[in-house]
Amino acid sequence: MAKKTGAEALGRFYTGGKVRSRREWRGFKDTMYDYSRWLVIMGTLGKFIIKPRNIKAMFRYRWMANYLAVPMMVDRHTQGLRGEYLRMCHVEQDLIIDDVAKLLDNLFRGDRRIGNDKEFSKKVVLVDENEMTAVMMGFPTLKTLSRETPSTYVPVLLNQHAVEYYLDKIEEFGLAPDVCPMPAAEAGVSVDDDAPILGACAIQCNTTCDGSLLSNGVISKRLEEDGIPVFQIGAPLRHREDDVQEYAAQEIRNAIAFIEEHTGAKWDWKEYFECARRVNVATRSRMEWLDMNRTEYPQVFGSNLALYTETNYMAICGRIPAFEKADRKLCKLAEQAYAKKNMMAREYRHRAIVWGVQSHYYFDFLLWILNCWGIVPLTDMLSMVSTKIIAEEDTPENREQAYYDMAWLTENMIMRNRTHGGYKVLLDELWEFVDQFNADMVILWEHTSCKALDGMHGMFEDRAREKGVHLVWVEHDLFDPRIVSRQGVRDQINSYMRTVFNEEPLDPSLEILDDANSW
Amino acid sequence: MRDLKHLIYFENLLVNSDNELIQQAKKDGKICAAYTCENVPEPLLNLDGVFSARLRAPRTGSMEMGTYYMTSLLCEYSRALLERALEGGFNFADCVISPDGCSMMNRCVENMEMLHTMDGGKDKFFYEFMEIPMKCDDNGLNLYVVQCQNHILKPLAETFGIDTSDAALREAVKKHNHLCEVIQQIGEFRKEENPRITGYEFCVLTMASFVTPYDLIIGKLEETLEEVKKRKPEKENPYRVRLAVVGSEVDDVDYIKLIEECGAYVCVDRYCMGSFPGRVPIEMNDEEDALTQICRHYMNMGQCPRYMSTNKLKGRKKYVDQLAREYNADGIIYEQIKFCDPWAYEKMMGGFVLEENYGFPVLQVDRPYNIDAGAGQMRTRVQAFIESIEIKKIQKGGEK
Amino acid sequence: MNKVTKALLIGTGAAAGFFGVTFTVYFFNLDMKLTALMEPIFLNHYDKIKKDSHL
Repeated sequence: MAKKTGAEALGRFYTGGKVRSRREWRGFKDTMYDYSRWLVIMGTLGKFIIKPRNIKAMFRYRWMANYLAVPMMVDRHTQGLRGEYLRMCHVEQDLIIDDVAKLLDNLFRGDRRIGNDKEFSKKVVLVDENEMTAVMMGFPTLKTLSRETPSTYVPVLLNQHAVEYYLDKIEEFGLAPDVCPMPAAEAGVSVDDDAPILGACAIQCNTTCDGSLLSNGVISKRLEEDGIPVFQIGAPLRHREDDVQEYAAQEIRNAIAFIEEHTGAKWDWKEYFECARRVNVATRSRMEWLDMNRTEYPQVFGSNLALYTETNYMAICGRIPAFEKADRKLCKLAEQAYAKKNMMAREYRHRAIVWGVQSHYYFDFLLWILNCWGIVPLTDMLSMVSTKIIAEEDTPENREQAYYDMAWLTENMIMRNRTHGGYKVLLDELWEFVDQFNADMVILWEHTSCKALDGMHGMFEDRAREKGVHLVWVEHDLFDPRIVSRQGVRDQINSYMRTVFNEEPLDPSLEILDDANSW
Repeated sequence: MRDLKHLIYFENLLVNSDNELIQQAKKDGKICAAYTCENVPEPLLNLDGVFSARLRAPRTGSMEMGTYYMTSLLCEYSRALLERALEGGFNFADCVISPDGCSMMNRCVENMEMLHTMDGGKDKFFYEFMEIPMKCDDNGLNLYVVQCQNHILKPLAETFGIDTSDAALREAVKKHNHLCEVIQQIGEFRKEENPRITGYEFCVLTMASFVTPYDLIIGKLEETLEEVKKRKPEKENPYRVRLAVVGSEVDDVDYIKLIEECGAYVCVDRYCMGSFPGRVPIEMNDEEDALTQICRHYMNMGQCPRYMSTNKLKGRKKYVDQLAREYNADGIIYEQIKFCDPWAYEKMMGGFVLEENYGFPVLQVDRPYNIDAGAGQMRTRVQAFIESIEIKKIQKGGEK
Repeated sequence: MNKVTKALLIGTGAAAGFFGVTFTVYFFNLDMKLTALMEPIFLNHYDKIKKDSHL
């Protein structure tokens, strides 16, 4: 049977339709474990949909249809996994699902169109999906909610075609189609009147790119029309420079004052330092995993590293205790697997650093390169975030330091810490990581509409040649599979592996998949 | 109308980046501080012993090297600049100062630095990258001041011994303001119903003022102002409509020429390298230090879409409305260079707001850096826009 | 058969039934196959909602 890693041909489940023919048989123990987690997920979804207001929302918001595909997202990220790796994935995914379900529930509770709980809405501060939520760490009585996370960010993980409608919508209003589809889709949701309306105020930030900054303008216009005041945090772009840090800290002070003014809530230092402690737990855990990944037996990598880091580091930012528990669980599982010298695939052929902005509609690509070609994605750009330990003890000096720490986190939000900050953080540090992780190849996502990445294209090529490292470009358009399909993404790896490395796939059934119509 | 006496002279200054006035200033021993964006306060680069040159790459054809380094998906302005730098077209520069404004310009200058495009054999050459504010408030102003000190004044003083004192800054602003006043006075004639200067001519004069040393250009500009004061317009207004051109970086005078060839008069220019806000004088007082006042002017006047606060978002559209009304524009062309993210959004939002809220007919266009690469398409769109405005005028009984 | 045994048998039977049904749904991906059928109905519904679309 298929107890052994890599025993089942994973490609044969693809039918050409939205969903797969069946779930994987992983041997009795792992299948039963996966089944039990499936039951838990179904329970989470059942608990969510049983509420009348959530049913109402299901019929109001187009993006809610994507949540029909939740279990399939989990299946995509558990493909071929056994033992500790399967458990790690479920620890993460199940927690993320639970967190998103709570986020949706809260959004609809306060939404003027749905639950219209006015008192609740007064305690809500809206934040952007791509925004570090550090500035909310000292507001335990307020609800930090993102409308973009459930309307655009998560849906593309669930269904590759999720935001095509919203992209078309914003382009109907004249937006050039060459801008990054992530902020464009967020703007599309806003102009299409498809965002929940709630909150005492909103905090935006110039997050990852020019597109993101500008799309916030589209959204803030609508928020203001709805009577929701907006504060924009202008986080410095050259975030490694000393002479921008005072400005950055002042932006945080101003943001906190704005929130206090519009919600009546008071900043709570005790809560802040407790969150800071949890941020440090997450940082130490991530550093431990990265250390393991430098060895011959990497343990927390691929989707298990990338998706979890994105959620825990940025959206959670120490505010939810359950993630600390998950961090510890993950460390335990990783240590167990490391002690046993376990491997996630039956053969590791190449050690790769995955750089650039990865395709959101094909997030499980990291697992695919492992299962199909035996390429170990040791780490990825979005997981290489701040490793700075922030002040966690409540002292007068640390209260002042805290503003700088929050500013640092905000400046170093995921993706932003590499796309901004000059070429050192994007280009030079990549090659340092290649050495540190003993990688023999770099898989470089070329997100076609990411100008910050594209602008370094030639220098990446030049440096790879100088260092003699295999560099594989993988083009995609982040949220829009109509530009480069999932198979189009795979083909770029396939052709490199066959023509340059002259290799055959580990699992040939995965080389070409009929998943263009799939969720 | 009679041709302007110095028009060909000004046009010739725009044919190459390395124009004769830059060469002359260099021969006179002056330092050339090159820059790439309106967010760098120009007077700070025009202190005694140094002059500014805003980088542009006229007559750009192929951009293969620029495209190799930055892909075909970055704005052509940034690729054209890199291409020109790699060709040695900016070797006159002694330093480059670039704000981390948009990602593309930032990457362009970073590539220039890494590829050592201009610094070969120049011991003192430096690249400086500035952080510039994204909001118009006290915190933003403090940042601006610190950044200008650290990334403009300090390196100029330490590397080239330039006097960056408050008095030196005030002197530079005085000269800058005089230049702005001359340009503004010439631009005022665009308000006339039958104007005595074309939008193209004005564009040439303004553009020349950005790419040449002040001391060497001001005389000819003053002379041109006097000439325009006495100039007689055509007997009949040759233009069918009056248009405001708004948008991203334009340093291609042929773009304005093309619009006017279609029968529209470009009555006001609100784009990077245009006269608004680039040639608006800086108001100064004696109480506050000069640097803070300069930075405040650039921050308050800045129309770059990267300014993201609500007051700026609304203010940009209001500014366009104000200019369009002041200069009696019948319609507005919102333009962006293809692949420019900031202006892709601003063009969409501005176009919508100016049309829906302020009642102007608006044409939104993407354009190539060098208009010759897309002249036919642009001409068709501008002609159709002009006709649509005319039809609207007829429908309203000839009244605006 | 005493009551306890009976209860145990019913309990076991119910659990086995629950397991049998849910495991079949799980293994053959029937949950996803059902929701895949539901999606077009929802999309059709969303197209009919009147919204205040504007910039």
